[in-house]
Amino acid sequence: MKLNWFSPLPPAGTDIAQFTLRVLPALRRALGGGAVTVWTDQDKWDEKQLAGVDVRRYRSGAVPWMEINKADLSVFNIGNNAQFHGAIWQISRQHPGLIILHDTHLHHLFYHLYVEQWQDAKEYLRQIAKYYGEAGRRDAARRMHNVAQEVYYLSEQYPLTPLALENSLGALVHSPVAFDLLRRARRWPLAYAPLPFPAAPLLEAPGSLERFSSGPPFQLILFGYIGRNRQLGAILQALAEFEEREQFRLHIYGELTDQEHWAAQIRELGLRRLVQLRGFVPEAKLDAALSAAHLAINLRYPTMGEASGSQLRIWSHALPSLVSETGWLATLPAAAVAFVRPSNEVADLQAHFRDFLSDPQRFQQIGEQGRRVLLEQHAPDVYARALIECAQMAERFRPQLIARQMAERAGTKLASMLKVNTPDMAASKVGCEIRELLISANTGD
Amino acid sequence: MIATVQVPFIRGGAEAHAEGLRNALCAAGHEAEIVAVPFKWYPPEKILDHMLACRLLDLTEVAGTPVDLLIGLRFPAYLIPHPNKVIWILHQHRTAYELWDHALGDLITWPHGAQVRDAIRQADRQLIPQARAVFANSRNVADRLKKFCYIEAAPLYHPPPHAEEFYCAEAEDYFFFPSRLCLPKRQSLVVEALARTRQPVRVVFAGAADHASIRKELSSLAAKLKVQKRVQWLDRVTEKEKRRLYAHALAVVYPPLDEDYGYVTLEAMLSSKAALTCADSGGPLEFVRDGETGLVAAATPESLAAAMDELWKDREGARRMGEAGRAAYEGMNISWSHVVDRLLA
Repeated sequence: MKLNWFSPLPPAGTDIAQFTLRVLPALRRALGGGAVTVWTDQDKWDEKQLAGVDVRRYRSGAVPWMEINKADLSVFNIGNNAQFHGAIWQISRQHPGLIILHDTHLHHLFYHLYVEQWQDAKEYLRQIAKYYGEAGRRDAARRMHNVAQEVYYLSEQYPLTPLALENSLGALVHSPVAFDLLRRARRWPLAYAPLPFPAAPLLEAPGSLERFSSGPPFQLILFGYIGRNRQLGAILQALAEFEEREQFRLHIYGELTDQEHWAAQIRELGLRRLVQLRGFVPEAKLDAALSAAHLAINLRYPTMGEASGSQLRIWSHALPSLVSETGWLATLPAAAVAFVRPSNEVADLQAHFRDFLSDPQRFQQIGEQGRRVLLEQHAPDVYARALIECAQMAERFRPQLIARQMAERAGTKLASMLKVNTPDMAASKVGCEIRELLISANTGD
Repeated sequence: MIATVQVPFIRGGAEAHAEGLRNALCAAGHEAEIVAVPFKWYPPEKILDHMLACRLLDLTEVAGTPVDLLIGLRFPAYLIPHPNKVIWILHQHRTAYELWDHALGDLITWPHGAQVRDAIRQADRQLIPQARAVFANSRNVADRLKKFCYIEAAPLYHPPPHAEEFYCAEAEDYFFFPSRLCLPKRQSLVVEALARTRQPVRVVFAGAADHASIRKELSSLAAKLKVQKRVQWLDRVTEKEKRRLYAHALAVVYPPLDEDYGYVTLEAMLSSKAALTCADSGGPLEFVRDGETGLVAAATPESLAAAMDELWKDREGARRMGEAGRAAYEGMNISWSHVVDRLLA
């Protein structure tokens, strides 16, 4: 089987680029080195990390379809960031393939594309109406003018995920929650495979094992793209109001939305000595920081729904973590994380800080259990096999997708011709013939 | 009822084939009619629309009179349902099959080309076997059907139109290449070969261009290679003129790419002319025996040029091959009465 792989690539500042680096070696092992062609619209990519991989460029408006069609199937990595996934989604719309959903709420992606990039609010609202009815359209129209405040509400109410899948041959998700959510639609072949992450040998991460024998101050770490849903305000408040705050240091790595605001907040709360904004650092430096840390904070509320690569990275370092009890994070084994209830962040964080100070070894065990989960469930080779099975399933779905599209086209024509919405006899005849044409009697597909 | 498709304003061997079959059926005492479905293949979803349209047609009876037999010739008309259907496949939708990943393929250049390709294959695999019997226009077409759709078909040859009117006359100094001017027929390969011949070889091309641009491109190529004085572009000629050009040709050159059947080879044989074709030309290879009834060159300008030079120099050899070709044709039982017997059996 030959696959096209559409994904952001390093050095793009998204964990999905790192995900591709984690999966590709296993996928190439399973399929043979030449069987995967990676496509990107980036001007540059990290040639060292992608050495030996067949990477090709495409440009919107001049897509080399002939080359793309030479593969058996295209795999599209879709997430919420329009900068990284806008072009990929547009290709997937024209050229049906398998979608790997990195978020189950994709409202951000489509809001950015339609409203901000294309300045087409009318089409954005039309899409909302298509999936959520006229009431949804009116609600979104009212709230979109205050999007900074309403974006999470809009994402929760109108995730628009079906729009990402409407011309797809199937979807692969990384959490049971996402699987259950999408299964209800019954429109696409759907599969679940735990997000892959190759566990680094602990010996290569000096300090991982000994970290809990070192005393206070204990190092807290928060990393990644720090948007509003990462609950930084609650974390700072919890720390500022915690009586034994001097026992902790908080290191924040990654891109912060509104950095100046947070720097001011840290000053106002008197946390300058305890909280460090470290910015975006090379991967190796981040790994060293994770190895040296005692406790990670990985809150995501509201959640975009899908598995968090950051959590796997935390586990890779056998690092205990505090996570939101929502979405995929809520499905994690209780022995491998410590939960923080949504909307109760300050109290729960402080309770965990107290527990940590009284019994750091219990948290050490939580970190070690997390690493065991990682090793057992998130091996890239297992993921690659699941992905190939999913790709084969998607290939088999092609006739059904074509049949559905033909039926929709024919239905539209019939409705316009007969001026009724349900031209039963004619529609039934057309449906039977489409089935006869395209659906194999032998397989019952 | 003969079911075929018609691309408006395009006329080639397929149209002559359908008419020949209708005439033969009528001559055998049957009532026969051609139903030609218009066909458009782009954008690719139009192919699907035409497939569905064919499935929705009812040709089982006309005004109360049953249609006893439906003979399907071309995709997607051969998908039209009928309880007593025989398919005699001229060719499948080739860009979904052997021309998918080929320079001549157009389906592959569309974003959803693979979807449509799979739909065509699925429909062919599913519905062709529903016919009472499946024949192919040639061994080449039968082999493709077997290779891609796992369906057996018996090759069934038929004579070209007006087969009885071809004749042989004294050879003059030209090769004859009658065909529509289009990429699959590879007129450009012959022009490039001309530039590599050592003999003063001349080629007369007859046939209308599928697109005006093709004729211009071929003329430009001839000029660029400085062989414009050794080629003649006659465009469309009458059937009578065509037979005259066959009759006086030194030999016939016909190097299409993977041709389904190819009347030109048979017409050359009927005119007692050696046929020069290529090793990847498909249908013609079922008739041209290398060194006996013609020559088979590699599909390169150099190889084709060498073969042209050989025939140009050895007129007596060319004549002998032509006569052998005519004798071979006579021995193959290629007749409409045979075709009618097989289809109605």
